[in-house]
Amino acid sequence: MSKKINLTLKVWRQKNCQSQGGFETYQAADIDTDMSFLEMLDVVNERLTREDKDPIAFDHDCREGICGMCGAVVNGQAHGPMKETTLCQLHMRHFKDGQTLVIEPFRAKAFAVIKDLSVDRSAFDRIIQAGGFISIKTGQAPDAHAIAVAKDKAEWAMDAAQCIGCGACVAACPNASAMLFVSAKIDHLNTLPQGSAELKARTLNMVKQMDQEGFGNCSNEYECEAACPKTISVKHIAKMNKMHRQSNLR
Amino acid sequence: MSYQTFDIQRSITRKQTVALTGLLLILFVIAHLAGNLFIYGGPETFNGYAEKLEHLGPFLKIAEWGLALLFFVHVERVTVLIVQNIRAKGGLKRYIVDNSKGPRSWATRLMPYSGTYLLLYLIWHLYDFTWSNHEGSRSIINGKSYGLYGVVVNSFKDPLHSWLYVLAMCFLGLHLAHGVQSFIQTFAFNDTHVTRGLKKFSRLFAVAMVIGYSSIPLYVLYVLKV
Ligand code: HEM
Ligand code: FES
Repeated sequence: MSKKINLTLKVWRQKNCQSQGGFETYQAADIDTDMSFLEMLDVVNERLTREDKDPIAFDHDCREGICGMCGAVVNGQAHGPMKETTLCQLHMRHFKDGQTLVIEPFRAKAFAVIKDLSVDRSAFDRIIQAGGFISIKTGQAPDAHAIAVAKDKAEWAMDAAQCIGCGACVAACPNASAMLFVSAKIDHLNTLPQGSAELKARTLNMVKQMDQEGFGNCSNEYECEAACPKTISVKHIAKMNKMHRQSNLR
Repeated sequence: MSYQTFDIQRSITRKQTVALTGLLLILFVIAHLAGNLFIYGGPETFNGYAEKLEHLGPFLKIAEWGLALLFFVHVERVTVLIVQNIRAKGGLKRYIVDNSKGPRSWATRLMPYSGTYLLLYLIWHLYDFTWSNHEGSRSIINGKSYGLYGVVVNSFKDPLHSWLYVLAMCFLGLHLAHGVQSFIQTFAFNDTHVTRGLKKFSRLFAVAMVIGYSSIPLYVLYVLKV
């Protein structure tokens, strides 16, 4: 059974990346507990629009937890309090009537605020680009079993490939490090035979780009793993550390 | 595709330098404890061990300078990491609600502080025992000089002195509780299994070191009769 709750929102408002920004307080009244967090923001925005005020800008696209577009920090936690959940999949039933929610954008020097809760994550795209290509034959689709892949390797690679690039790992890391994202992207290709030909260049170049974008350094605090809506494990970071060392030494 | 190997300014390389120096410092911490425990054998045993070290001559000098270098590199690399991390998160203030979802412990949070305390402690410790006069007034127990053994016993008979050492060892414990599992993750000795057991091991090792080291001042202060 759904019920209605009332919430107080303290939302970060910022015109653009140059301006200062600050918190504004809004009432979110009559919120259906079956709504998602983004739908709750939609309700607030409708009211703001009717009142001729600027609606809160936030990122979103699929709203089904697969695109990686949405994200904000709710009461100090990236994507809010639930584990394995993107903001769009977070339901209002997890909040209490009368609760105050502090909503901030993902903060990192490499993620400039575009407006309000919307941040520029193009640094991630440039890291992916730095990884370059994989060597596969184009043309007719090959048979699925043409290249044998060991079961454990396939599982490992698929676990890493789950990353949707939302940036929660950076937002949750006390050092704003992008190691979880980069390790997932490196590892899912490096683990498979099709991607292993460029292992060395991919590893070194993506890590180099990560550094150039101004992300912090990993201090093994594992906050990223806890915040990841796709449960990417820090063992991929360990694997990247190893591949990076081996790429350097050979 | 082109790429550039071995650049010590790369974040992962820098972190692995911290981890390598950290690991070597841990080996030193273990060896140093083993040596210290000779105190339970009495003045002859303990001074005999200290003399053996002295007789290593040039090797001791190399080991000492090597240790100094390890500390220097560890602290210098860590400082660069910390400055970069503060910059990367956009200054010291970040979210107004401090509410982590993950396993971040006090030992982890306190790494830079426990490290700084260790560095200050190290300097004091060197003045206190290593560079002090081992035959002077501090070495005399009941009118007779007991060399380094006497210096150690007289120092630890002072409760403040003893407890400052114990406090330093608690900070060492905090540093190791995070540090041990951290270097294993950084070196990826664990690239196929998860880190829960590892963290337990890390904490147990830290506790063992704290107990081992702290037992000496506490033994001298509360148990040893002179
Ligand atoms: C007995 C002396 C010391 C030992 C055995 C030791 C050991 C370690 C180890 C094993 C690590 C983890 C390395 C990694 O995973 O990368 C570490 C990290 C660290 N050490 Fe030390 N250390 C010592 C002294 C110091 C000192 C004097 C400082 C001075 C400030 C310091 C500051 C740090 C910091 C801040 C880190 C965390 C780095 C990070 O994770 O980003 N340590 N240490
Ligand atoms: S909007 Fe696509 S994952 Fe949330």
